[in-house]
Amino acid sequence: MLSQLQTLVREVDGRYATDAELLFLQTYLQTARLRFSAYQKIQKAEKKIVQQVKQKLVVSDPQLFRRGKVDLSAKWQRDTIRGLRFCAHALLVADEDGLEENFLLWFQAVMRSFKAQSSCNMTYKVMQDVVRQYLSPQEAELFCPILSQARLLLGQ
Amino acid sequence: MDTPSVYTHQLRKQYPKKHNHYKFSEFFQFNRSEGTISDWNGSRNILTSEDFIIGLLEGLEEEVGAASAAVMYSIGVEWGKQDSLFFDQWFEREYNTSPQQANLMFLLETWWWPFTAQGWGRWEIDMADRQQGFMFINLFDSAVARTLGDVGKPVCYLYAGLYAGFFTEMVRKQLSCIEIQCYSMGETYCKFLLGAKDRIDAAAFWLNEGATASDIEKRLRTDEAPL
Repeated sequence: MLSQLQTLVREVDGRYATDAELLFLQTYLQTARLRFSAYQKIQKAEKKIVQQVKQKLVVSDPQLFRRGKVDLSAKWQRDTIRGLRFCAHALLVADEDGLEENFLLWFQAVMRSFKAQSSCNMTYKVMQDVVRQYLSPQEAELFCPILSQARLLLGQ
Repeated sequence: MDTPSVYTHQLRKQYPKKHNHYKFSEFFQFNRSEGTISDWNGSRNILTSEDFIIGLLEGLEEEVGAASAAVMYSIGVEWGKQDSLFFDQWFEREYNTSPQQANLMFLLETWWWPFTAQGWGRWEIDMADRQQGFMFINLFDSAVARTLGDVGKPVCYLYAGLYAGFFTEMVRKQLSCIEIQCYSMGETYCKFLLGAKDRIDAAAFWLNEGATASDIEKRLRTDEAPL
């Protein structure tokens, strides 16, 4: 929505916006309440969400957070919290394009440099299941595609 | 293109530890009163059109003929060497650690991100043959090649020089670089080979004889000496 708003301001120069150009604002306003409540729920449950994701990942692959003798779980946790916060922010302002430009493309390069794609792929897959426990189905319907976008970019 | 700027980036001053700052509106700072553009790291930037790139290359070719490729390469080498020193400073300032202590791939990705933000294209480094003394760099969307289009020969001498200069300074060992595949040859992306001068000379010879990038890769991996 934010990126679209910027485009609207740029495009609508010295004239009134058309109905079609304003459609995204209407769509946003229709979902704004859901976005706010989901954002607040995620914020409140952040610790639990990350812990649950971690537990599920360890069960599915006990070696996922280990590289030789090095334990990477603290680093994973920092990265995951950062990723979750960016995704939640994108949900709040309905700005998937901004999420990609502002965070995901850069973070993708960082994750690739540490060969962490497989861990990211699993993390954002499992996270979609976990957040459903904290969000209503309508809220999850808005948030899970964003996590899926993160999985797609960070997991490859 | 960048040179040191006197302008402090206001957003960086406010958020000195923000690492994901490559969004157009965050990375660049438009100093309107002076009519200048500086970036997050304090470099002075200028915006150029494709016409400018064509004019630069064609003008140079008119002045020095076939030597224009070597001139562009040399400009790139000097740029890369200077940028390596500049990078050391901003990397240490931003990450509170010296480049020598950082993960190598992370370091290189961090070096290239400002270039990506400036429109020089995205890259991918293939370090599988590092132990053998050479490596490949794939460049997507080269500003030079994209501008010139399909001209049937490699054109990214500036980039080859940039990589040679940067890595020479970084590893403190004289390295050369050659573009062995180019978007301007009708390929989908550009490919550079970086290594010691004798290896690059050999690759240049093979390329001249009509070898493809994949032929050169094979020959290097089987350690074939030039004829």
